[in-house]
Amino acid sequence: MSPSLGLRVRDWGLEILQTAFRLLPWPTEPGLRSIGTPDESSPVLLTCNYALTVRRLVATLEGCDAWLVVAPTAGINVWCAAAGGHMSTHQIVSALKTSGVAERVRHRDVILPQLAATGVLALEVFRRCRWRVRFGPVSASDLPAYLASGEKTDAMRRIRFSLRDRLEMAASWAAPTALVVGGGALFIRPEWALPLMGLVVAMAVLVFNVYDRLGPRRKTTFALGASVAALAVTWLAGGAAAALATAAIAACFVSALLTYDYTGSTPIEGGSHFEERRWTIAFDLERCDGIFRCWEVCPEACFEKLESERKVALAHDDRCIRCGACIVQCPQDALFFEDEAGARIEPDVIRKYKLNLLGRRSIDAH
Amino acid sequence: MSSLALMRWLEGRPERYDAGMRVLTCGRIARLHAAVAEAAVRSAGDHVLEIGCGTGTVTTLLHARGAHVTAIDQAPEMLEQARLRLPDDESIVWIEQTAAEIDRLPPSRFDAVVLCLCLSDMSPNERAFVLREAVLRLAPGGRVVAADEVRPNGWRGWLQRLWRIPQAALGWLLVGSLSRPIRDLAGELQAVGLRVSGAGTWLLGTLELVVGEREP
Repeated sequence: MSPSLGLRVRDWGLEILQTAFRLLPWPTEPGLRSIGTPDESSPVLLTCNYALTVRRLVATLEGCDAWLVVAPTAGINVWCAAAGGHMSTHQIVSALKTSGVAERVRHRDVILPQLAATGVLALEVFRRCRWRVRFGPVSASDLPAYLASGEKTDAMRRIRFSLRDRLEMAASWAAPTALVVGGGALFIRPEWALPLMGLVVAMAVLVFNVYDRLGPRRKTTFALGASVAALAVTWLAGGAAAALATAAIAACFVSALLTYDYTGSTPIEGGSHFEERRWTIAFDLERCDGIFRCWEVCPEACFEKLESERKVALAHDDRCIRCGACIVQCPQDALFFEDEAGARIEPDVIRKYKLNLLGRRSIDAH
Repeated sequence: MSSLALMRWLEGRPERYDAGMRVLTCGRIARLHAAVAEAAVRSAGDHVLEIGCGTGTVTTLLHARGAHVTAIDQAPEMLEQARLRLPDDESIVWIEQTAAEIDRLPPSRFDAVVLCLCLSDMSPNERAFVLREAVLRLAPGGRVVAADEVRPNGWRGWLQRLWRIPQAALGWLLVGSLSRPIRDLAGELQAVGLRVSGAGTWLLGTLELVVGEREP
């Protein structure tokens, strides 16, 4: 039965609101949901309790029969929750034990989003509650094909940053920033509120569509470009010296704000803000026994299989975004973070304290 | 606020947790903790299971009253803070695990199970599971001591709804928690077969302590 007009309007309203403010947690009720008419042999999927993710996942799976376990992850999306410790082995074990899914199926196989690999130890989940974890595709849109074929293609393994993703991230940064900037302007120069909000939106769209393509000095380039553009627009509009200066300062401020923590909003390594980013991924070939878990969970396809030797090669470490998924999943502890002087952060420390460079950034204490 | 700033703020959560809770409860938290410890330990030597021990504030009070405490929490950072509070002592066992894994602990072992401000962090499914399993861990005549944020009736409930908006934002920033008030704490304890007695309320009835006794 198709949903009523009222429900569809409500869903669209929520979709717009939660996309615009997706940097906030949007919790939905954890627990077990049925998709279609699942039975005791249907696949079990598990995801976060971020409302936007759950709603889109349910829509994507229309026509499939599956059980969906929604884990309590503080209303945060999969990658952020996994990197920050809100979607860890604990939450997965708890959800599998308390949701009642074990009474609904005969098997004990659960499919998690690949990006959860940063925080969830698959082997530990099995040890603690006897459920076997498989990491499915990165993107929910690939799930129907994955469920139908049982195969995860190379494309399903890689993270994409499509135009739609870029525009969504732009909206999520622009909406709250425009509200703050526009609201502040209302108290000082009300006639500037709308132009400033427009400037914020335009720059957010530019940041997420141009910024990562500008090369290593992208922040400076972008701030200068934005300032010059703001000055030009103000001058062409007949602005006075004070207005020109204000536009330039506003442009610098907004571009710095929007590009400050760019890495946290995209799968692209920003590079220069934190001393900790001197840490890079390192690999002990001797320890590798060719299980290929790193290859399986790397969202940037940094690894290549050397089938004949039962080993992997860290062939594309330049792509590494240091999410730590490979380190967390390797049962042989063959991967770790290392700095230029050779100091290591061992896998157990990374697993315990979520010291991936998308999540926790403080490493000095450990 | 940049997501980086938010993350950095939350990284120090365990160190900030106690101060954050004092702010969020207008200083009433200390009285609640004392009442929980008093209700849980009836005589020195009691065995107490504390679920969600956090930074060990209640653990310290239980220990001071002479209890043997098994304290569990899923956050390693919280357990580290808790260990700093209390010296190595064989009367305290620290376990890093989820509340849902208390089914791995021996049955009929404890004189009391303490759940202080952790049930409201759980989903309804988790709460039902944990309370069922908690009852099975109790020795005959043992008790569940549950203290948490609840939703009072009438005007206090409406006042709480208004206060929840800034409080939820503050709670997220200070302690990284998105707890939700429990509608009927006593009812949830009764639903698992416990005989319930209310033991106190604070902050206009929004914090409640309930003791549920297992039949001897």
